[in-house]
Amino acid sequence: MAHQLTTCTYCGVGCGLYLETSDNRVIGVYPSVSHPTNQGKICVRGWHVHEIASSAERLKKPLLKKHGELEEAEWDEAFEFVAARLQQIRKGHGPDAIAFLNSPRCSNEDTYLLQKLARAVIGTNNVDQGSGVFCNNSIDVLLETTGVAAASTSLADLAESEVVVVDGVDLGRRMPTVGGAVIRAKLRGAKLMVIGTRRHRVAENADRFLQIRPGTEVPLYGAMAKVIVDRGLMDLGFIKARCRNYEDFLQQVREYDLLHAAEACGVPAEAIEGAAVDFARARAATLLYSTSMEARSRDTIRAVVNLALLTGNMGKPGAGILALSEQNNLQGVCDMGMLPDRLPGYRRVDDASARAELETLWQAKLPSASGLQAGSLLGNGAASPVKALWVCQYDPASAAGLEETAGLFRNRELLVTQQLFMTEAARLADVVLPTTAYGEEQVSFTSTERRIQLAQKVIEPAPGLMPAWQQLTRVARLLGANWDYTSAAQVMEEIGQAVPFYSGASYENLGREYGRQWPCTKDRPLGTRYLFGENGTKFKFAVVPMPPQIAAATEFPFRLFFGSSLYYWAQDVLVRHSETLKREYRVLWLDYPQGFVEINSEDAKQLGIRDGQKVRLRTEAAAAEATARVTPEVMSGTIFVPYFLREVEKKLLQNRADRSQLVPVRLEKEAA
Amino acid sequence: MKARVLRNADVLAVVDLLRGQGYEVLAPFCGRGRDTCFDTVTDDNREHIQIHLPNPYYPPKRFVFPHIERLMKAERSNGDLRIEPTYEAPKRAIFGIRSCDVAGIYHLDRFFLGKEFSDIYYEKRRRNLLLINVVCTDPERDIGKECFCMCADTGPAARDHFDLQLMDLGEEFMAVAGTAAGEALLASPIFRKGTNKHVEKRRAILEQLRGNFESTMTSWFSGAVRYVSQEKVAEKTWEEIGQRCLECGGCTYVCPACTCFTVSDRRTGAKEVERVRTWDSCALGGFTRMAGGFNPRRAVHDRRNRRFFRKLSHYFIQRELSVACVGCGRCAAVCHGDIGMPTVVEMIRRAAAQAEAR
Repeated sequence: MAHQLTTCTYCGVGCGLYLETSDNRVIGVYPSVSHPTNQGKICVRGWHVHEIASSAERLKKPLLKKHGELEEAEWDEAFEFVAARLQQIRKGHGPDAIAFLNSPRCSNEDTYLLQKLARAVIGTNNVDQGSGVFCNNSIDVLLETTGVAAASTSLADLAESEVVVVDGVDLGRRMPTVGGAVIRAKLRGAKLMVIGTRRHRVAENADRFLQIRPGTEVPLYGAMAKVIVDRGLMDLGFIKARCRNYEDFLQQVREYDLLHAAEACGVPAEAIEGAAVDFARARAATLLYSTSMEARSRDTIRAVVNLALLTGNMGKPGAGILALSEQNNLQGVCDMGMLPDRLPGYRRVDDASARAELETLWQAKLPSASGLQAGSLLGNGAASPVKALWVCQYDPASAAGLEETAGLFRNRELLVTQQLFMTEAARLADVVLPTTAYGEEQVSFTSTERRIQLAQKVIEPAPGLMPAWQQLTRVARLLGANWDYTSAAQVMEEIGQAVPFYSGASYENLGREYGRQWPCTKDRPLGTRYLFGENGTKFKFAVVPMPPQIAAATEFPFRLFFGSSLYYWAQDVLVRHSETLKREYRVLWLDYPQGFVEINSEDAKQLGIRDGQKVRLRTEAAAAEATARVTPEVMSGTIFVPYFLREVEKKLLQNRADRSQLVPVRLEKEAA
Repeated sequence: MKARVLRNADVLAVVDLLRGQGYEVLAPFCGRGRDTCFDTVTDDNREHIQIHLPNPYYPPKRFVFPHIERLMKAERSNGDLRIEPTYEAPKRAIFGIRSCDVAGIYHLDRFFLGKEFSDIYYEKRRRNLLLINVVCTDPERDIGKECFCMCADTGPAARDHFDLQLMDLGEEFMAVAGTAAGEALLASPIFRKGTNKHVEKRRAILEQLRGNFESTMTSWFSGAVRYVSQEKVAEKTWEEIGQRCLECGGCTYVCPACTCFTVSDRRTGAKEVERVRTWDSCALGGFTRMAGGFNPRRAVHDRRNRRFFRKLSHYFIQRELSVACVGCGRCAAVCHGDIGMPTVVEMIRRAAAQAEAR
C-alpha cells in the first residue's frame, strides 16, 4: 500500500488529494487536509478518480487506418507514418494546411510540445485549445486591463474578503471547492452577492441575489459603477496612483442610468444601488467570474474589471479578481501558448522581439501571422485550407459552442488523435495514438489560482503506453528536429526558459510543498499568492459602451438563451467510467432521453406545462419542439437551451452567427 | 481489566510482535504538512511510525469495508459461464487506531454482521483484523479542533471493542486487553504487571483531557437525538442545511460509521466481467432514484434530513444497538458548507430553542 500526494485534474481548482495504490492499482482516494487550496475538502468527482484508470476499454496500441479500417500497428510504424504524411502535406500545401488542437485536459508538458511542434517544426500558428472561444475573451480583456491573463488573487484569500461577488457561474456544480470557500466566507461574516440568471445553490446562500435577465450584465455593472461614482465611494488614491484611462471611463459611465438598468435587468433599482454601496464600502472584496462561460462577452468582463479598479480591490489580501478557469488545465494550456495569436507566456505572435527570443531558444524560424481559431478551423468544412489535423485529448462532442464536427473531421486528408479511449473523433481518425492516463505519468497542471502542481505517477501504465509529450518528441525527431526530452521535468526546464513567470518552477521546487503559484521565478521561488502587490503596475480602465436595449416583444415574451448547462461534465469521457459519476451526471439523459429545455416553474404553471411534456418554441421565422424540464432555478421569462440540443439550436438561431444573442420566442404546449 | 505497563522504548516492539506472527500491520505515518495516514509497516518505514499525530483522515473502516472491493468475477469460455466469488481477507492489525474509530468498527460490525443477514465479505475481513487502540492523550497533536468523542461517549479512551489498548502515561505506557487475542499478546515479556499507581495516573490523565476539547456540545448531542427522534425539527431547518450542501458525498466517505455502497459490473477483458462494491453516499441525488425516474429524496434537504435521522434517531440507535456517530469530527473537516455533525447539532438546538421561545 502506498499513499501519494497529487493533484486532482478534474477541474481548474486543482485540489490536493492522496491516491492510495496497491499491486499497481489505484484503490482509494482522499483529500489532503493541509493543502492550501482545498484544505481537506474535495467534490464528488474527486472522490471517484480512482475508478477510472483501470477501465478495460483503454486503448493499448496505436491504430492506423489501412484499407478504410483502423487496425492495430506498432509504435514505430505509426510515428513514421505520421511524420511522412505531415511532411507530404506541408510540401504540397504549405505549413498552414496543418492545424493542432488540444483541450484543457492536456498537461503543461503535452501542450508546450504540441505548440512547439506546430510552430518550430511545422511552421504554423494554427494552434488552439478547443474549449471554445470564450476563454479567449477573458485572456484578451485581462491583458488589456491588468496585464496578466489570470486570477489576481487566491482561493484561500476568500477567507479575508468582506464582500464576495459571484458573476453567474454555478460554482456548486462546476467548481464545488470554490463554491464551498465562498459559502464559508459568508458564514464567517462576508457579504455574499450573486449576480446571474440562474438561481443556483450558492445563490440560495447569498445576502444579495440579483437575478438578472440573461445578457444584461453590462447595464447592471455599469449602473453599479455609476452609483459608486455618484456617491464618491471610489478609491481615488488607488486610481490616481495605479490606473490609466479613468477620464474616458468616467465619461462613459455617466451615461449609464440606474433606473434604465433596473428596467433592462428586471431587478429593483434599490437592489442594484445597495449592491454597489456594499461592494464599494468593503475593505477588501473579491469578484469571481468564469472564463469558460458561454456568451460572456468581452464587455461583461471589462465591466467586472472596472469595478475592481474603481474600488481599489487589487494587490492586497482578500481582494481581486478570480477569473475562474473551469476546465482542468485551461490556465496552463493558455500559459503554454496554445492560442493562434499568442506565444507561450502570452506575447503576441506578431511581436518580433518575442519571436526572436523564442527563435533563439528553439533554434527555428517562427511564423508571424496568427493562425486559425478552433471555431473557424472546424466551421469551414470542405472549404477550409486545413488538410491535416492533429488533436490531443480533444473530443468535439464535449466542446461547448462548436459546430457538429464529425462531418468536418471527415474532410481531412490526415487526422491524428491522441486519446485514452475510442471516442467519436478517434473513430474518424487515420491514426490513433493512445496515451498514459492520470496517475500513470508525472506531469504538471496549472490551476485557476495560478498554482503549478505536479500530477504524480502512482502506477505503471500498460506496456508500450507513453505520455503525449513523449509521442510528440518522437514525431518531431522523425521530422528532423533535435528534441531530446527524456522526462517531463526536462520539458519543464525548457518551459521555464520560454515562459518567464514559470522560470523557477522546476519539478524539484514544485514537489517540495504544494506546487507554486506563478509568477514563480528564480527571485521568487516560493511563488506569488496575489498579484500586483507591489506598486508600479498600471491598470487600464476599459470603456464599455451602453449595449442596445433588448426590446420586449409582447408576442414573443420569452427570451431563449443557450449554454453548456450543468451537464457539461456528463460528456466528459472520464465521467463515463465511474459508476457513481455516471449515475449523478448522466441521470438527466435517462429522465429526458430527447434532451430538454429548462422552463421556470411559475411560467410552466401558468401555461399548464408539466415536467417532461413536449413544448414548441416559436420565433418569428421558425419553430422547434423540445421536452420541458421545469425548475425553479431558471429565471421567469427565460428559457434555457443546452448546447447539446443541436436541432433546436439550428432551427431557432438559423443565420444568427452570434450565439450570445437572446432569441425572443413564444412558448406553447405541443398539441397532443 | 488487568492493567499492564511497558516501557516507552518497547511500544514499537508490539508492531514487531504482530509482524512476527504474520500480520500485515497498518500504522500511522505523517504525510505532507499535517496530513497523516495508515500505511503498511515495512522494515524501511518502521522508524517513522508515529504514536501522537492527527487522526488519519482516510477512515480505517476501509480495512473491513474497502473504498472499492471486488466481489466476484464471471468468465465465459467455450459457451460456459463460470462465476466465482473473490474474497480477500488478509491477516491485518491496525496499530494506533483511535477510540472513536474503534467505535466505528463496532458500529459496522453491528450493521454488517448483527442481524439475520451477515455480509460474508465484511465477515472474512473482520475475522482477520486485530485492533490495537491507542488512546488520544496529547492535546496538541492527537486531539483536533473538530473532535467530539466526549459528546458521542466513545473516547478519548474506548472502554471495549478493541483487542489491545495502549495509553501513554508519560514515563511508560499502559496496556489493557479487550479480547482473548489481546490477552494472548500480553504474554510477551515486554509487558509487566501494572499497579494502582498506574491506574490512578490513567484516571488523572483522562480527567484532565476532558478540558481539551474545543467542541462544547456535550449536552446538545443528546438533545439533538431527542428532537430528531421526536420529529421536532422544522422543515425550514433542513432547508437551511440543504442550502449549504454541495452534494460531494464527503461526509459519508470519511465517516467511520457510514455504510452506504453501490454495486456495479465492469468489463475486465473480452470475455470477463467483475462485480465490484464501491462506497456510495445518501447525499447524492441518484442514490435513491428508482427505475422509472421516481426519487423519494430528490430535494437536497430531504437527503440531509435522511442523514441526520440515520445518525441521531432513536429508531436507528435501537435497531443496531449502536450510535452511527462516533464523534471523530471528520465530517466537520470535510464539509464545504460547514454542515458537519457539530454544526447541525447546534442548528437543531438553536431552532428548537427558538421554537420553544415562541
